[in-house]
Amino acid sequence: MKIHKKTRIAPFIPINSMSDIAFLLLIFIMLISLINYKKVIKIDYPEAEYKETTQADKNFEIRIDYDGVIYYKGYIIDTTTLEEKIVDAITKDPKTRIHIIADKNTKYKNVNGVIEILKLLQHRAVSLVVKGN
Amino acid sequence: MKIKISRRKGIDVLGSGSLSDLAFLLIVFFIVIAMFNINKGFILGLPQKNSAKILNVKDILRINLNEKGEVFLKENVVPIEEVEREIKDILTINPNLTVLLKIHPDVNYQKVVSVVEAVRKLNVENFSFSMLREGEKFR
Repeated sequence: MKIHKKTRIAPFIPINSMSDIAFLLLIFIMLISLINYKKVIKIDYPEAEYKETTQADKNFEIRIDYDGVIYYKGYIIDTTTLEEKIVDAITKDPKTRIHIIADKNTKYKNVNGVIEILKLLQHRAVSLVVKGN
Repeated sequence: MKIKISRRKGIDVLGSGSLSDLAFLLIVFFIVIAMFNINKGFILGLPQKNSAKILNVKDILRINLNEKGEVFLKENVVPIEEVEREIKDILTINPNLTVLLKIHPDVNYQKVVSVVEAVRKLNVENFSFSMLREGEKFR
């Protein structure tokens, strides 16, 4: 008599798609955080048909909203602290490009305040950011 | 008689079937993120301290931007859309042109950007801009 030997199959959970799910979750969280970051500071970008790419390897973005409030990395900042931050950034990397992202309806004097700081620090170039595409 | 040779199949322990999908998603993700971070605009040179330049008065073109956003070019009001054409005309007569933009502190930033755009479009080498100080009048 032939005895059939039962081969026992080890139980397993299919984890093939786990990495996909994890990655999609990561994208979702990163995109949501990016959208929220942009929502905090409401800036209506100025428009221009002709524009150049001003992005550099190291960038320092200063945002100015309609009321003339200055932001750096999403936080309100006063001119004295801004000056210190710019000095720090330039000391670390002299090629750091300073970008001014100001609301198109803000008064020019609000933007000029930042430009005056840069002039005082002997910074050679500034990028005035406009709406892309 | 046909002899069947059984080939031993490799076991895909890690389940690499979805790796190509993953790689593709990774590429898409980086492309999207890179597009978010590109700043476009104008790079303007700021004047250096004690860097006075001697200029011929004939080479200077003064553009004044008042609080209403009106552009004054040689004491005439010029619509902002025609600033570029006006400068271009002057530039053909005088290639050594130096454009001095005087800005009223209360003018909308968009107006300033529009004038800067016109100047940058024409590749005017000598361009300077400053805000009208308190008590100062347009020249």
